[in-house]
Amino acid sequence: MTIAAAFAPFVGLAVADSGLPECDLMAAPQTIDELEQILDLASEHQLKAVIWGGGTHQGIGGRIDPDLVIATSQLNRLIDWQPEDFTVTVEAGMRVSDLEEMLADRGQMAVLPELPGAATIGGVMAAGISGWRRARYGPTRDRVLEVDLVTGDGRRVRAGGRVVKNVTGFDLPRLAVGSYGSLGVIAQACLKLWPEPSTKVTVSVADGDRALATAYRPTAVVEADGVAKVYLGGTEAEVDGQVESLDGTVVPGWFWTPAPTGAVGWSLRVPPALIRSAIERLPSGWRYQAGLGVGEIKAASVDADGAAELRAWAESRGGALVIVSGPVGLYSDMDPWGTPPPGLDIQRELIRRFDPCRVVNPGRLPGGI
Amino acid sequence: MWPRSYRAGLPNTRSSLDEESACLCIPEARAWHEPDRLMTLIGDLREILGPDRVLSEPLERYLYGTDGGMARGEVIVVVLPETAGEVSDVVKAAKRHASPIVARGAGTGLAGGAAPAVPSVVVSLTNMKTIEIDLGNRTAWVGPGVINLDLSKLTRSSGFHFAPDPSSQSACTIGGNVANNSGGPHCLAEGTTTSHVLAVEIVTADGEVVLLGGPAPDPIGLDLRSVVVGSEGLLGIITRTLVKLTPNPLDVRTILAGFATMEDAVATSSGIVARGVVPAALEIMDQKMTRAVENFVGAGFPIDAAAILLAEVAGHPAAVEAEARLVEQVANENHVTSLRVAADEVERAKLWLGRKSAFGAVAQLAPDYYLHDTVVPRTQLVATMQKIYEIAERHGVLMLNVFHAGDGNLHPLVAFDASVEGQLDIVHAAMEEVARVCIEAGGALSGEHGIGLEKRDLMPLLYSEADLDAQARLREAFDPDGLFNPQKVLPAGSRCADLGRPIPAGAWL
Ligand SMILES: Cc1cc2nc3c(=O)[nH]c(=O)nc-3n(C[C@H](O)[C@H](O)[C@H](O)COP(=O)(O)OP(=O)(O)OC[C@H]3O[C@@H](n4cnc5c(N)ncnc54)[C@H](O)[C@@H]3O)c2cc1C
Repeated sequence: MTIAAAFAPFVGLAVADSGLPECDLMAAPQTIDELEQILDLASEHQLKAVIWGGGTHQGIGGRIDPDLVIATSQLNRLIDWQPEDFTVTVEAGMRVSDLEEMLADRGQMAVLPELPGAATIGGVMAAGISGWRRARYGPTRDRVLEVDLVTGDGRRVRAGGRVVKNVTGFDLPRLAVGSYGSLGVIAQACLKLWPEPSTKVTVSVADGDRALATAYRPTAVVEADGVAKVYLGGTEAEVDGQVESLDGTVVPGWFWTPAPTGAVGWSLRVPPALIRSAIERLPSGWRYQAGLGVGEIKAASVDADGAAELRAWAESRGGALVIVSGPVGLYSDMDPWGTPPPGLDIQRELIRRFDPCRVVNPGRLPGGI
Repeated sequence: MWPRSYRAGLPNTRSSLDEESACLCIPEARAWHEPDRLMTLIGDLREILGPDRVLSEPLERYLYGTDGGMARGEVIVVVLPETAGEVSDVVKAAKRHASPIVARGAGTGLAGGAAPAVPSVVVSLTNMKTIEIDLGNRTAWVGPGVINLDLSKLTRSSGFHFAPDPSSQSACTIGGNVANNSGGPHCLAEGTTTSHVLAVEIVTADGEVVLLGGPAPDPIGLDLRSVVVGSEGLLGIITRTLVKLTPNPLDVRTILAGFATMEDAVATSSGIVARGVVPAALEIMDQKMTRAVENFVGAGFPIDAAAILLAEVAGHPAAVEAEARLVEQVANENHVTSLRVAADEVERAKLWLGRKSAFGAVAQLAPDYYLHDTVVPRTQLVATMQKIYEIAERHGVLMLNVFHAGDGNLHPLVAFDASVEGQLDIVHAAMEEVARVCIEAGGALSGEHGIGLEKRDLMPLLYSEADLDAQARLREAFDPDGLFNPQKVLPAGSRCADLGRPIPAGAWL
């Protein structure tokens, strides 16, 4: 049987998805069972597979010329929602926006990235992306209670549990966050939910640093190209009290600004106390959005001029400058991640035990692993 | 006081221990009683640490053979390193001598995590107590030997604290907290230890010192830090941790509510959460426990109530006001029989002293106790509590309950006398049933105390062969020889050679 024939049963609606990279083999599993079979086949044939969620973060990490694209768009079912328990279990291909919309009906939120576009739960987890509200609610990794992975060689593995507190075994759910599928494709996850605050406001202020120091545990403080917005949530009295001390323009609700776009997209990560210094070091012409108190900056530029110096500085302070998107040539001029982190041997040993034929997103992680 | 003596482990562990030692590369069979082997190891360790920080007297070795749980193991020798470099040298020496290594903090763990399952070198981290505070980043680098409460005391005047607050916080170490991903009453709103760890420095099974994670958000590469947290000493020895500091609340209110039934107390706790309020803490105690505590510390708990709820709301003063009202309202809807708000800090401290003395108070009832730790979805609390009481009754054991109701984390405690023949077996049987009931309700085996030895053999109740194999693979990637804390957490035979495709040997990637 040819490879194409072997994959034929799984080639489906994926092809209709826009934005998928061109590839001879495309598969869109409808069930996790099918995903297992696909990965088993891919391992058998030593294929390189790219996993496609919403395609919003495909620009991060090493480039891959795939033999196979696996779209998760059909794995988008709600498995279990326990509103009184504040947990929800969904398949990985569900869109973040669909999930949050559903949860909002019952006054709940998963606190994933605020303007997710087409991003899926699995994609956000695999890329380890968090929203700005991490300032108050913690990063995405703090949301993941249980995960079902399908390993590179097609074994379904579950870890964690559908309870909000759990130390039964090693914390694979958190390890899966930011793993880029290297331990397996994230097929399903249970997330911890938060109640939506009864009152939410966005306050525009002149001085973000001062606002951060004044506000008591704000939901987020985001500065974009010199203008800062403070996001507050809580009871009406609490929010009103906080607003008074801030001295800014108030609008009800949370209004998020899209991240800046440009030929090159960046993620600059520094210890929170260095964020002002980091903003000042951005090469001229770079536009940015900075999470004050968090240490994350999303930036965009026309080219990579000045990036090497900025990266060297960030790395010397324990941070990183990561390419999020850019022309293909950039990835050969500049490592998409920068200096690989310590513990690379352990990472390699881990991956070879979960994806022995190195099928899923090979070479995408720092160090080209 | 001379420590209590127990036989190690759960019933039926003997055969599985033997089975697993066969696949370990550690030649356990070679007895440590051979004087030569022992003396050269001790000699090497003394060379690294000097004579005073290598403890080899029988009494010393005995004292380090157990933790706060039931198991006792054999200690070859105890070492007290003071730097990561010394830990590294110790690991290399132990490895050379094919000796397993068990890391140890204060030994307050309740799952047998620090009790060696096979004769081991015990590395006590209690001498590593450095603290470097960085208020600008709201973080601190802390040595593994730092006592949990000491960090919060040190940062209090600056307006910060370390959020995880296990009841044992005046004794347990941050290294132990990180290794167990410990929780505490205030983890309901703030998350358990893992949410407060930005980086860990570990000594690997090769003796290498590796820093995982860092001060900036989202460190690149696989997030190994996250999996070292909660790894119970199986993946590496933690020599330093970068933790987050949490701002002290501007205001706090502690409410004590009494109820005529456990159902009402639980319904109140779950009702508060379901209304969209996440209090700082929601703790429940049953009547047996309240009476024991009252008698012990006189916290002012109503002893006529079938159950009490200790609820704390904290944060911005306006929020505290509104949330306290909601707590009262939900309590009223659920037939509260008495309700009191702590008038001042003294009264508040007294209430918390009562809560945190619960386990100590049990000493009045019986010489020994077995403290369980399971989790169920919050919606299953009432039904599960009923079943647990039935189990206690059926086995005729004295059970008391105090638990983190807000996150469904149960702590059934059985007071008993281990010197009475057969008692421990009855207790174990009852507790295993409790674990089964919680898992049937969709819960987990442990919410904060860990698996260690105590619950190792119950893991297959929750996880499939493939799940356990994945856990074993993870362990193998860090420590292929099983040098660190062997035979803990994962039951014998977890690693299945015939699952999946073969792992390529040699160079890869
Ligand atoms: C009265 C009482 C109340 C308790 N209350 C709570 C509670 O509210 N919440 C809670 O979560 N726990 C509680 N515990 C359990 C216990 O206190 C915690 O698990 C604590 O974190 C253990 O810390 P320790 O320093 O005593 O660690 P130890 O008991 O010495 O060790 C625990 C585990 O961690 C490993 N370890 C220790 N240090 C290191 C290191 N540096 N590197 C690698 N591995 C290491 C050990 O090998 C072992 O597996 C309680 C215990 C008692 C006795």
